Amino acid sequence: MPDLLGYAAVQTLNALSFSALLLLNGLGLSVVLSLMNFVNLTHGAFFLLGSYVGIFWLGSGAPWWLAFPAAFLASGLVGAVLERFPFRQFYAQPHLMQVLLTYGLSLIFADLMRWGFGAQILTPELPETLQGVVFILDMPFPIFRLFLIGAGVALGLALWLLLDRTVWGAVLRAAVSDRGIVETLGIDTRRVLTLVLVLSAGLGGLSGALGAGMLAAYPGLDEEVLLLALVTVVVGGLGSFGGTVAGALVVGFALTFSKVWFPEFANLAAFAVLVLLLMLRPSGLVAPPLRRI
Amino acid sequence: MRITRRLALAGLPAVALPRAALAQPRPLRIGMITSLSGPFTALGESMRAGMRLLLVQSGERFADRPVELIVEDDQARPDDGVRKARKLIEQDRVDLLCGVIHSGVALALRDVVTEAQKPTFILGSANDLARKAASPYVLRPTKTNWMLGSSAARRAYETQSGARVVTAASDYAAGREYVGDFVTTYQGLGGRIGRQFWTPLGTADFGPLLTAIAAERPDSVYVFFAGSDAVRFLRQWKEYRLAGRIRLTGTGACFDQEDVLPAVGDAPLGAINTFHQSPTAPASAAFVEAYRATGKPLPGEFSTTGYVCGQVLRAAVERSNGDPTGNWAQTRQALFDAPIDTAFGSMPFDPRNGQAILDIHVNEVNAGAPGQPLVNTVVHTYPQLRDPGPNA
Repeated sequence: MPDLLGYAAVQTLNALSFSALLLLNGLGLSVVLSLMNFVNLTHGAFFLLGSYVGIFWLGSGAPWWLAFPAAFLASGLVGAVLERFPFRQFYAQPHLMQVLLTYGLSLIFADLMRWGFGAQILTPELPETLQGVVFILDMPFPIFRLFLIGAGVALGLALWLLLDRTVWGAVLRAAVSDRGIVETLGIDTRRVLTLVLVLSAGLGGLSGALGAGMLAAYPGLDEEVLLLALVTVVVGGLGSFGGTVAGALVVGFALTFSKVWFPEFANLAAFAVLVLLLMLRPSGLVAPPLRRI
Repeated sequence: MRITRRLALAGLPAVALPRAALAQPRPLRIGMITSLSGPFTALGESMRAGMRLLLVQSGERFADRPVELIVEDDQARPDDGVRKARKLIEQDRVDLLCGVIHSGVALALRDVVTEAQKPTFILGSANDLARKAASPYVLRPTKTNWMLGSSAARRAYETQSGARVVTAASDYAAGREYVGDFVTTYQGLGGRIGRQFWTPLGTADFGPLLTAIAAERPDSVYVFFAGSDAVRFLRQWKEYRLAGRIRLTGTGACFDQEDVLPAVGDAPLGAINTFHQSPTAPASAAFVEAYRATGKPLPGEFSTTGYVCGQVLRAAVERSNGDPTGNWAQTRQALFDAPIDTAFGSMPFDPRNGQAILDIHVNEVNAGAPGQPLVNTVVHTYPQLRDPGPNA
């Protein structure tokens, strides 16, 4: 049965590539949410901005691979400006206030981007090297999707090393659990938090540039990806890196295989699985250990 | 008293103004409801651009009566559409209403305008609008979904009668109608239908669907997707190397000249679609040229529809000597009496339901000028299709 085997293999790869996109998208959101306890609903806007930057870069004829750092920098820069004002004033506010602020900002950004980039649907011109296809047991699978899977794994790994295995990551985690103590060590925690937000916004932009190859870019995409990112982060479990990875895999596989098996009830089936998971594990797949002081 | 120059000047307007005001009839207010945010943003802006072009060409006057256009955004949500319609009718006191892309909004609006007895030109295309939801206050200067689905089936059977066709479409009212009418007509002619695939509206990843289609190995696939769904589907259609291996046919919206084709490269080259609009249709040549002269790309469905709607509104005003609402039944009858010359071609109305009778073109997606997007090129036309209407 090479046909069925190839079919299963390619559908699994489909799910993996979608999971990679969800992971990239979710990481930026979860970094800020879990490390800074800040709900940032402008994340979708960072993603869409990155998509537009990536598309214009790829269309400009400059070296294609620089499109991704460019998108990172552009969104990171916007993140840096927003962090200064008004995000910083809201770190200590309750979540509802943060939601109101950042959702309002996301609407403003949506209009600004529609004004700046137009309402038409844009897609990137992928370089020749990414346009190819590999045949797996006679079933076609695009190389661009392998690239997405690779990028997801590489970035996830890099971020994990940065946050879990470096002094900088240790400072950051310390600043989150007890800001006062870290300040007494002579570290400017405000700058640390700025860096996290810039990193998160940049990741949003970077995933936007990568995701544009699959999703295209148009007004309204920001809300769609924000929703996917929230689902990913919540299913995986707030506050843990492994959780976001698990969340991305579960959501990616649920959404893909629900389309394969129950195409007419794809969303119903996928989200029923996710609701069930949340009922069984209300704090997410990978819940961080509760800290008591 | 000596009359100074200043006095004379000051007195002039006082004499001249009332006369000018008398000669100036009350402006005709037209309300347009369209989607300027939400999933149909680009389509809504095209519709408005088409209508604006017609107004500019008419010198902002119909039958020598000045025209004011008020545009409201329905966000592609029925409740918002109804709210905006009430606002236009009650607050802005518009004389005529037009617009709408989303079928749900169109059906919700139908009841509101019928109750308010407000003449309305609805541009959504649900079959029911020409059937059980037809209304004496609603005119429909655009296609119904049946016209496209059934003509696609006829064309498929006439050109490739032995083909096994699978269908793939967005799972909502419009997709169900297009595919339903395609399947019924194709099977009625004796054609073979394979699996029917449905995906939710707003699908991010078409990989699973395309892999399933590849495994099915049909001769041909009939599709309906719109907007971003269409762009993603067509790009991924090429990425998964189905382009060239399986014949692609579909609804015109999936290959919209303005909304979809500029964003998909050469992915749908050679695809066939049925549509009431084509930039290469002879009837639309003058409009296409004027639209491009405003710096826009080749027009697609909704810019043309907005323009055509303006042409029909203008005809309504002209055939009622500048007062279309004074006796609406008479105006309506005047529109039914003789076809209207539009960018969709000569447009007669079906008096049973106020539905336009339209030429439906078979478009082949061909290469454009070097560096330019693909072009929908008319290869065949089914003239003057009439929706089955209330008898369906």
